[in-house]
Amino acid sequence: MPDYPPNQESVAILVAEFERELAAAASPRDAQSLRDRFLGRKNSHVASWMQQIGAAAVEQKKGIGQYANELKKAVEERWAAYSEHAAASARPAGAVDVTLPGRVPLLGHRHPLTLVRERMEEIFTRMGFAIVEGPEVEDEWHCFDALNMPAEHPARDMQDTLYLAGPMPPVDGDTDAYVRTMLRTHTSAMQIRYMQTHQPPIRIVVPGRVYRRDDLDLTHTPMFSQMEGLVVGEGISLADLKGTLLAFGREMFGERSRLRTRPSFFPYTEPSAEVDISCWSCDGVGCSMCKKSGWIEILGCGMVHPAVFEAVGYDPEKYTGFAWGIGIERVAILRYQVEDIRLFYENDLRFLEQFPY
Amino acid sequence: MRLVISWLREFVDIKASAEEIAETVSLRGFEVAAIEPLGADDAVIDFEVTANRPDCLSVIGLAREVATAFDLPLTLPSAEGGARIRLAAVPVGKSDRITVSIDDGELCPRYAVAVAEVKVGPSPAWLAARLQAAGVRPISSIVDVTNYVNLELGQPMHAFDLTKLAGSEIHARRARAGETITTLDGVKRTLDAEMLVIADRDRAQAVAGVIGGADSEVSATTTMVAFESAYFKPASVRRTSKRLGLKTEASARFERGGDPNAQVVALQRAVALMEQINTGCAIGAIVDCKSSETTPRHLRLRRNRLTGLLGAIVPDVEVERILRGLGLAVSSAPDGWQVTAPTFRVDLLREVDLIEEVGRHYGFDKLPAAFPPVTRAAPPPDPRVGRDQLVRRALTAAGLSEAVTFGFIEAKAIDVFRGRQRSPDPQGGEVVGADTFENVLTIANPLSAKFDTLRPSLLPGLVDAVAHNRRHGRRDVRLFEIGARFTTSTERRSLGMAWTGATSAHWSGGARDVDFFDVKGLVEQVCTILGVRVRTEPIVAPFLVPGQCAAVIVADGPERGAVVGLTGQLSPAVADARGLPRQDRVMMAELDLDHLSKARAAGSDAIVPLARYPFVVRDLSIVVADTLPAEIIRDTIQASGRDLPAPLASVGFFARYHGKGVPEGAVSISVRLTFQAADRTLTDVEVQHSVETILAALVREHGAIQK
Repeated sequence: MPDYPPNQESVAILVAEFERELAAAASPRDAQSLRDRFLGRKNSHVASWMQQIGAAAVEQKKGIGQYANELKKAVEERWAAYSEHAAASARPAGAVDVTLPGRVPLLGHRHPLTLVRERMEEIFTRMGFAIVEGPEVEDEWHCFDALNMPAEHPARDMQDTLYLAGPMPPVDGDTDAYVRTMLRTHTSAMQIRYMQTHQPPIRIVVPGRVYRRDDLDLTHTPMFSQMEGLVVGEGISLADLKGTLLAFGREMFGERSRLRTRPSFFPYTEPSAEVDISCWSCDGVGCSMCKKSGWIEILGCGMVHPAVFEAVGYDPEKYTGFAWGIGIERVAILRYQVEDIRLFYENDLRFLEQFPY
Repeated sequence: MRLVISWLREFVDIKASAEEIAETVSLRGFEVAAIEPLGADDAVIDFEVTANRPDCLSVIGLAREVATAFDLPLTLPSAEGGARIRLAAVPVGKSDRITVSIDDGELCPRYAVAVAEVKVGPSPAWLAARLQAAGVRPISSIVDVTNYVNLELGQPMHAFDLTKLAGSEIHARRARAGETITTLDGVKRTLDAEMLVIADRDRAQAVAGVIGGADSEVSATTTMVAFESAYFKPASVRRTSKRLGLKTEASARFERGGDPNAQVVALQRAVALMEQINTGCAIGAIVDCKSSETTPRHLRLRRNRLTGLLGAIVPDVEVERILRGLGLAVSSAPDGWQVTAPTFRVDLLREVDLIEEVGRHYGFDKLPAAFPPVTRAAPPPDPRVGRDQLVRRALTAAGLSEAVTFGFIEAKAIDVFRGRQRSPDPQGGEVVGADTFENVLTIANPLSAKFDTLRPSLLPGLVDAVAHNRRHGRRDVRLFEIGARFTTSTERRSLGMAWTGATSAHWSGGARDVDFFDVKGLVEQVCTILGVRVRTEPIVAPFLVPGQCAAVIVADGPERGAVVGLTGQLSPAVADARGLPRQDRVMMAELDLDHLSKARAAGSDAIVPLARYPFVVRDLSIVVADTLPAEIIRDTIQASGRDLPAPLASVGFFARYHGKGVPEGAVSISVRLTFQAADRTLTDVEVQHSVETILAALVREHGAIQK
C-alpha cells in the first residue's frame, strides 16, 4: 500500500482507486477485503491517516482529520451503493434457474384441412347454415341421375368414378333401389339426400371427403375434401348467391376481397358460374400466387337446375335456390402456400407441427 | 378451341385486340387457356369450351359469342355473289354417281354426301397456315378442306376415295360382330354391333363419327371423292370412341352433339373452298338422307322468372338484343317472350337455359350482391360435427396430432393385418375388432394397387403414417385420425390412434416409453368425454401383441356389453411388414365413434349434493394370483360392500407389486377403500367391520392373503 500524504489530491486518487477496484472485484469476498483496505480499523488508508493526526503538528491536525473524514465518507458512500446492489442480485435459498424450459404439456396439432374446414363451418354457421354430413359410399342415383347427369353423361365415365367391386346396402331412409356401388365424386350427392328428407327453406353446408379416379401427383389425389353449400327457398336469386359468397370470401380471405363471377357449366346448376376472388396476397395487382392475373379461382356454383328440384319432388316454379362446391385442399394450398398436395396425406409431423393447436 | 383472330374477323368486323376479346369472352363463360401472337397482326386465343357448348368448337360459334358481347353484326356464310364466307350453290337432289342409304336410323339421323372431281395436292400456304394455327396438321388439299370446314362451322367431314367404295354405295349401318377395319392411323380394329360404321357394298370403310378407314383414304392419285357430312347419335359416338380408346377432332364434336341441320351448308362450304383453292369441283347434286327431322325448339321466357332468378331487372331491349345476337328468334309474349332456339344450340332445352344466356351476356358482374333472407332458424348441425370436434380437441390437448389418410389402402396391407389366425368374434355384430379385416370392400376399377381396397379400419393408414415419420428420423410419434371406415355392410365414423416413443421429454428426467396404459388411458378419456362408461377385456387380434390387446366394451346403459373398439400393441410382424422397426413399441387403439354416440347413457344433468359428513379412507394390501384381473377384484369388493354398516363410496387401485416377499405366480395389490355416509359421521367400529367383511369376501372368492 503506497503511503499517500493526506491532502485534497490524494483523497481524489484514493477514491478513484477504490471505485476502480470495486468495479473489478471478482467476488463479494474480494470486495470486502478491498473495503477493509480503505476503511478497516487497522492498516487501512483511513486508519493510517487517523494515526498520523497524533504525530502531526497542531496546525495540520485539523486538515488531516478533515481529509481522513472526507475519504471515509466517500468510500462508505460507494460501499453502501455497492452493497445494496449486491444484496439485490443475490440468489435466495431454494432459488431455481427460471430460464430453464418448463414442463409444457405436449400439444398436438389439428390437420390443416381441418383448420380450413372448421373456419368455413364457423363462418357459414353464423350465416344461419346448418352443417350436415353424408355417406361417402353412394348410389348412382344420388350422385348422378338426380343431379341432372343421366346415364350417358361423360362425367359418369369409369375414368372419373371409383366403383365398388360389390354393392353396399342403402343407408337409412333410402328405398331398396338405391344400392350403393360407388364412392361419391362430389358432396353434391348430399344435397339430394337432404332435399329428399326436408322441405324448404333450406340453408346447409356439407363438408366431406370425395373420391375421383385420379393419379397421385403434385396437384391431384384420388381423395380430397369439399364443402358443398345449398340454399333453397322462394325468390332466391343469383344476386343472393353473389352476396352470400362475397360475405364468405371477405371473412375467409380478408375484408378487401372482391369476387368475380364467370359463367360456366355444371349439369346440376343453371346458370352456372366459376367464382374468382381477388388475390389476397397482392390485393388484385398481380403476383406469383395469382399467376399475375390478380384473381384466384376458388369455387364453382350456380342456381339449382330445375331438373334437380324435379328429381327430389320440389316444384321448380315455386322454389329456386343456389349451390356451390369449394375444394378445401384448394383453399389450404393457397392459404398455407403448400406446393405439393400430397403433403396433406403424408402426415409428416414436420409438416403437421407447423399448424396451430 | 384455338380461335385464329383473322379467321374470326371474317365473321365479325371487330377492331378489339386479342387480349380484349379474350377478356370479354372469358367473362361470358369461355375460359382462356392461352393467347399466342401469330405474326405481326394476328393471334390465336385458346378457349376452353364447356361440355354443353359443342357449337363453340368452331369459328362461327365463337364469332356469335364475340358479336353478341361486342354488339356487332355477324356475317354468315352465303351463296350470294360477293359473300365474304362463300357457299357453293350446289343443290340438294339425286346423284347418279353414288347411292346412300341409312340402314340404322337410330344411330344415324342424317347423312349427306357431295361427290367431287378432284386433283389432290398441297393446300395453298394461307390455308395450311390457318389450319396449323388452329392446331390441325395440313395433310393434302382435300383433307384440309374437310378439316377447315370442321373448324369453321363445327361440322365434322370425311372424304372417301369414291373409286375405292365398292358398288359406289354408302350404307350407315351397325358393324357386324367381330367385323374389322384398318383405320387411318394404320391400326386394325375389331368392332361390335353397338358401333355404327359407314360401309360400302362389301365392308366397313369408316367408324362413323370417329375415324375413316385406310382402304378408302384420299391419296395423291385420287380423282373422285365423296364428302361425308352427317349427324350421328352423340351417345353412340361417345361409346364407340371410348370402346376403341380413340378420341378425334370429329368424335369430340359428335359426342357432345352437333347441329342436325348443318350438313348441307357444310358441303356447300367445302365445295366453295375447293373451288377457291382450285382443287376440285362438285359433280351433281348433294345427296341428303334423313331418318328423322330435328326442328328448332320453341321456349317461353317469362319476364318475372328472368328477374327473379337473376335478382336484377334486365331491360327488355337488352334481353332481345342478346338472344337475337346468339341466333335465337325472339317475339313478344304477354308475360315476356316467345323464343325459338336454333338446332345448333343443343344446350337450350328450357326457360332457365335462356335465363342463363341473358345473364351471361348481360354480365354476372352487373348483378347486385344481396343476401337470402333468413325465414327460419337453422336446424342443429349433424351431431357428428360437434362430437368429432370435441374428440379432436381432447386428443390434440393430449399431444396427438391429427392425421388424414386416404379412404383406401392396398390389399397387401389387409393381408398383413388379417394375419394367419382368426379369432372368434367376441360379441357378434359390427365391431372394430379382430374380424374387421375379413369383410372388406374392394374397388372395381382402382387406378393403382395402392388404393384398391376401402379401409375397414383406420389403423393400417396410421401405421403407414407412423412408418413415414420413423423413416424421417422421428422417434416419438403420436397421431390420431377421425374418418370413415368401410365394410361390406356399413360405413361408420371411426377414431384411430397410434403412439410410439417417449411419453415426455424434459431436462429434469422422468421420461419413459409409451405403454399399454397410456393408450388405454386415452381410450377411457375419449369415452368419458362422450359420456360412455367402458371396460376392457383381453382379446386376441392377429395384428396386436398377444397379452397386450383388449376389447373396449360398453359398461352400462342401453348398449351394455357392446364392443366399441380395441386397443393394444402392434405386433412386430405387422410393424415389420409395413416398414417399421420390429423393436419399436407402437400402441394403437380404434374406437367406433358412431357406436359410442349410440351408447351414450341418458344420465341426469342434476348435480349430486356435496357430502355433509367426513369420509374415511382405509388401505388394504392383499396377495392374490397373478392372473386375477383387477376388474374381478373390484367387482368382488363392490358386491361385498353393498350392504355394509359403512357405505363404500369408492374403490381405487394404487399399487401392484411383484417380487421380494410375494410368492412366484402371485401379486400384491393395494386397494384404497373410501367409506362415507350421507346422514352421519362413521364410527371406527363401523368402518373396521366393513373392511373385514370385504377382506373376508376377497379371501373366500380369490384366496387372498392380507399383507
